[in-house]
Amino acid sequence: MGIVNKLVTWSRVKSPWILHFNTGACNACDIEVVASITPRYDVERFGLLLKGTPRHADVLVCSGPLTRQIESRLVRIYEQMAHPKFVVAVGTCACSGGVFNGCYNIKGGIDSAIPVSAYIPGCPVRPEAIIDGVVKLLGSLQNPTEAPATPIVINPPEESEELHG
Amino acid sequence: MSVSLFEMIVFPGFIFLGVMGMLFEYLDRIVYARLQNRKGPPWFQPFADFIKMGSKEDIIPREADSGMFVLSPLLAVTAVVVSAFYIPMWGGKALFSFFGDAVVVIYLLTIPTVAYFFAGWYSTSLYSTVGAVRTLTQLFAYEVPLFLVILAPGILANTWSLSGMAEFYSQNPLLCVTNVVGFMVAIVALQGKLERTPFDIPEAKTEIVGGTFTEYSGRLLAFLKLTHSVKTVVVAALVSAVFLPFGVEIGGVLGFAIFIVKIAVIVCILSAFKAALARIRIEQMVDFCWRYVAPAAIFQLLISMVLGALTGCGV
Repeated sequence: MGIVNKLVTWSRVKSPWILHFNTGACNACDIEVVASITPRYDVERFGLLLKGTPRHADVLVCSGPLTRQIESRLVRIYEQMAHPKFVVAVGTCACSGGVFNGCYNIKGGIDSAIPVSAYIPGCPVRPEAIIDGVVKLLGSLQNPTEAPATPIVINPPEESEELHG
Repeated sequence: MSVSLFEMIVFPGFIFLGVMGMLFEYLDRIVYARLQNRKGPPWFQPFADFIKMGSKEDIIPREADSGMFVLSPLLAVTAVVVSAFYIPMWGGKALFSFFGDAVVVIYLLTIPTVAYFFAGWYSTSLYSTVGAVRTLTQLFAYEVPLFLVILAPGILANTWSLSGMAEFYSQNPLLCVTNVVGFMVAIVALQGKLERTPFDIPEAKTEIVGGTFTEYSGRLLAFLKLTHSVKTVVVAALVSAVFLPFGVEIGGVLGFAIFIVKIAVIVCILSAFKAALARIRIEQMVDFCWRYVAPAAIFQLLISMVLGALTGCGV
């Protein structure tokens, strides 16, 4: 890897701009995505910014099962993004279709229409998990040959008591 | 013209201004973050953003006018860098200076705004067209007050050369106090010129997606963002040369340090406004600028004219 490639990869890892797209979620994951970009979690320290237009974004954050109605729109949004682009499926529904899998109006997970780089399960996903997922995705850019990380428990029950108490 | 290519491209030209612009963009973002009780981005963030945007794919929409689409960002960045040559930064004199360069600088700083309009208009996307029209509407609101207050100190100094103004006020520092109203008007107008909150109406992302720059990606977007950063520095330098000309005659490292501090103060004021205020609607902005800001600018003009007549140092 040349010095220019290294610099470009570094800049990609340090400056992920996300676009949030609801593919038919119940809004729970959307609220959590919005929560994760509030000052409480301060994702700007990773250089992560929420962008309004697919042209500016690097990471497409999709939430919800892929409904048949939204499929063509999702593909269009994906095609409007500039290369290189990544897709993150946020929530169990986005990963696999979740409880809606097999419904007459549901196609399945996000990966039934466009390639997905990272899956973040959860119902709804916690903001910590979203941040962890995006950071892991970017880490895999720097070390593409490294074996996938072993799953870790983001939020053990006793910690959540403490957070809400 | 004894200005070499080195001065134009490296120092104090394009590359120097670009680096300065990005460092002050970092300052802006970190102050904004601290005011929101956040940690904020690391210092290299604007550089990483720039490299990343530069390494991405360039998309030119089929519907767009490809010539103007590519030309507008380059036009914007060129105009901003050229205008910096006429502004005295440190060591007393600007790179170029002649009688009336204040007018030239103000016109050169209008070119990026018009280039933004062209960028949005020739993208032919609905959102960027709305953004472009808002850019131009906003221009008519803040440009007149900014013109008046930048030229008002010139009446007292009896020159419309920025270097001349800076020299006059650094010799008579007490007369600077009479320009306080003008300074406040300039700060308000700057927020319109730099399209910052509360006047970030042209790129309101909650309403019109990305505004003027909706269709831009890759290198062209990088140039537009660079223009934005450099414009912040250049406009802050212009305001500091006219309203805060203390120590402008000092050259060398000390002069440079004073210059940096002055720009940093102005950027911090702008960041505080950004953190404290929310975006307003376009007609509220026009209304506010013509009802309050423009009369304040005329008031500043009157102060300068009366003082000029009394002290006899004006025209």
